[in-house]
Amino acid sequence: MAVRGLSPIKSRADAQGSSMALLLLVLAGLFLAVNAVALMLVRPALGLRPLVYLSVWAVCAAAGHRWLEHRLPGRDPLLFPIGMFLSGWGLLVIGRLIPTFAERQALWLAVSAVALMLAAGFAHGVQWLRRYRYLILVFGLSVLAATILLGRNPSGMIGAPALWLGAGALFVQPAEALKILLVAFSASYLAEQYSVLSVEEVKSGRMFSPRVAGPVLLMWGLSVIILVWQRDLGTAGLFFIVFLLLVYIATGFLWILAGGALLGVMAVFAAYHLFTVVELRVDIWLNPWAEADGRAYQIVQSLQAFAAGGVFGQGIGQGSPAYVPVAHSDFIFAAVGEEWGLLGVIVVVVALAVLSLRGLRAALRFPPRSFRSLLAAGLSLLLAVQSLMIMGGVLKLLPLTGVTLPFFSYGGSSLLASFVALGLLIRLSAGED
Amino acid sequence: MPATRALSHLAAGLLIAFTLVALSALYWAVVGPNTILRRSDNPRLVEAEASIVRGQIVDRSGVLLAVSERDANRRFPRRVYPHPETSPVTGYASQRYGVGGAEAAYNAILRGDTLPKDIWGELTNTLLHQPQHGSDIRLTLDMGVQETLAGALAGQAGAAVVLAVPSGAVLGLASAPTFDANTLDADWERLRADPGRPFFNRALQGSYQPGGAVQTPLLAAGLLDGQPLETEIAGATMPVNTAGAALTCALRLPELALTLREAYGFACPEPFRQLALDLGPRSVQAAFDMFHFGQPPSLAGFEFQAVSGTDTLEITDDNLEEMALGQGDMVVTPLEMAVMAAAIVNDGNAPQPYLLVETRAPGAAHWEPVQQVRPTTPYATAATARQLQDLMRSAVARGAAINAARPGLDIGGHAALAFSGESTQAWFVGFATLPGLRGVAVAVVLENSRDPGLAADIGGQALAAAHRALTGGE
Repeated sequence: MAVRGLSPIKSRADAQGSSMALLLLVLAGLFLAVNAVALMLVRPALGLRPLVYLSVWAVCAAAGHRWLEHRLPGRDPLLFPIGMFLSGWGLLVIGRLIPTFAERQALWLAVSAVALMLAAGFAHGVQWLRRYRYLILVFGLSVLAATILLGRNPSGMIGAPALWLGAGALFVQPAEALKILLVAFSASYLAEQYSVLSVEEVKSGRMFSPRVAGPVLLMWGLSVIILVWQRDLGTAGLFFIVFLLLVYIATGFLWILAGGALLGVMAVFAAYHLFTVVELRVDIWLNPWAEADGRAYQIVQSLQAFAAGGVFGQGIGQGSPAYVPVAHSDFIFAAVGEEWGLLGVIVVVVALAVLSLRGLRAALRFPPRSFRSLLAAGLSLLLAVQSLMIMGGVLKLLPLTGVTLPFFSYGGSSLLASFVALGLLIRLSAGED
Repeated sequence: MPATRALSHLAAGLLIAFTLVALSALYWAVVGPNTILRRSDNPRLVEAEASIVRGQIVDRSGVLLAVSERDANRRFPRRVYPHPETSPVTGYASQRYGVGGAEAAYNAILRGDTLPKDIWGELTNTLLHQPQHGSDIRLTLDMGVQETLAGALAGQAGAAVVLAVPSGAVLGLASAPTFDANTLDADWERLRADPGRPFFNRALQGSYQPGGAVQTPLLAAGLLDGQPLETEIAGATMPVNTAGAALTCALRLPELALTLREAYGFACPEPFRQLALDLGPRSVQAAFDMFHFGQPPSLAGFEFQAVSGTDTLEITDDNLEEMALGQGDMVVTPLEMAVMAAAIVNDGNAPQPYLLVETRAPGAAHWEPVQQVRPTTPYATAATARQLQDLMRSAVARGAAINAARPGLDIGGHAALAFSGESTQAWFVGFATLPGLRGVAVAVVLENSRDPGLAADIGGQALAAAHRALTGGE
């Protein structure tokens, strides 16, 4: 037990973890440096910009590492390096695709790193999430309502999904913050309500009681509202899936998953007939080739990017991922596929898988069904499910859902949310409140 | 501990899901290159095509006719034609509209598709994304001759071909109106809609009635038959009415009696109508067949552009007069007439026209000659050919082709008129001999022209230019 007020005494395991974290960060830095230099050679017009991105990244990595070493020596040493690795790689890809966007992204990376340090470093942060859960829920829902009423799209395009709030040069996507708020609320609600749930209650047939099934239906309703008013298939699906999985963890009832899946399929079926956006996504998922020049252009270009990358990739700056519309955002994984090939793709998949599984492992540090256990599981699932949805989408494994690839894609709100989630996970992985 | 079990189930589920993602990436990375990348809508194919650095096209003395220029501001090389007056020969290479002319005929060489594959080179090119480089080609074309032809035809509709004899090398080939390959993409729609049909290569594809130009093979038949050249024929300058048009001599002449030699010199139709009637359809047919009329020669590499073989002419008593006047179904191409002139100056043996001399692989210092066997085709006996040369010299000295004469040059030729419907064409077919070489041959046709003198003048300019080019001076 560390005594408050004294500097924590490092155990042997902590020291090993610390040097592992440092080693991983240095390896990530070397990978990024090699790619930054290669990018400058291939694209002389970029000047020294890649080195600037690299420097911002290095400062964030060094500061984050020192802060975490100081505050949380017992944390999982893999989480922070993996998050930094992916966000640094993403920054380089964005810098290669749209240099002006990368400058803004570098700024957001610095902001996100600070947010991560705050989320991970301050005691009571996690407890506040629990104590003020209803306040959080009200706040989250009012932000959602505000987006529905006042939402805009920074591109100014008529008909584009209006998922942003803001004015002037600063736009934020409230759904990104809402994801974390809803996971925190769900974790605390389930911890409170389900911890007393016993096997006998279930066997006695009270499993359909509003106390158990109610929140599932509520969450389903919320997802449907997001789908209907925002046409945001990705966020709606993500909320619902993560929540279902959390309920499954809290109860261990497989029928929750089965029932939830049924509700999800019903919603998608209805949406297919009601909303053109859903119809489009499903149609081009089933057969994109017939409409390769039209509605399926993006997914066809995405698959061609993976094919063009082959196993070894074209090399940074040497492929043509810009043919994929919004390659810097939702489709950034296709850019990785074209320029780093299958090898790069597997590295990203493995990194995200390790991040998710280590996050789930953090949940085991706490009593089952406890708030902190559920919060750790929920945040890990949030990152994992979002990654799987978009990676599966751009590979035509799943229908396309417009979500970002965590840490990697362009977008300040997305990066900030991923880093805050990671910060909380790092704190929980150290077994701290 | 159900919660722990649920967590481990979820962990396993996530692992499976991530593995599925990796497997589908594996699928597209391995299967994709041979399937979806081959789709014509893959923009990378267009990009690869656009980044090919095509070889240069140069004329016989190395003047640059087409070059792919690369600079830092452009992603793809830009095809530049320093001498757009060669467009009827060099053609065009456009990303949007494809290739034409020599750019199409030698496309594989210029793109580099014919180069031997070297595995190591391929590998480094692929790794470093080096664009494909094509070979340079040298054409038989002579910029001096080509400029002369293009300048002379400017503002006209017509065509001209100059051949070196005995090789058959195309020294000049012009078709007017034409296009500027440098501004092709911008002008395409206007050029396509242009009633002057600038993309139509009149020298190779144009089918013209030969009219009076048919008199040369007829005369050859007459010579074989022993017809007297110097006997006067009464009413030789009378016009001949056929199909509603009155055919006249190449020059307006009063009613005169002329010898056959003189009638040929002025391209008067009446004596040749009589000659054909004397000879009969079989002899006329034999003469036309000997001169390969109706079988236009093709230019190696441009075969697809050649006029599809018109049905072999069958001359009967019914159409004998019309054929003897070079009207009706009888059509020839300017290249065909140039080959005929080349056969005459080459003692009766027609050379095969050709354009491609040699190629140079990218980066190589030396040119590789294109191995070609080009046998000549006998059109006439040496004796007949020499008699025809002599008659053509007379036509330049004292006939309608007098404008072709150039001091100090031995030039023979035949200027004539032809009618096609409402319009008239002026022809000049001729040759010049060269010291140490056989000579050069030329054919000129001017659409909507009643001025064979102008055609002869253009022919004279072309022959003089070719003389300068091949003798290297004056």
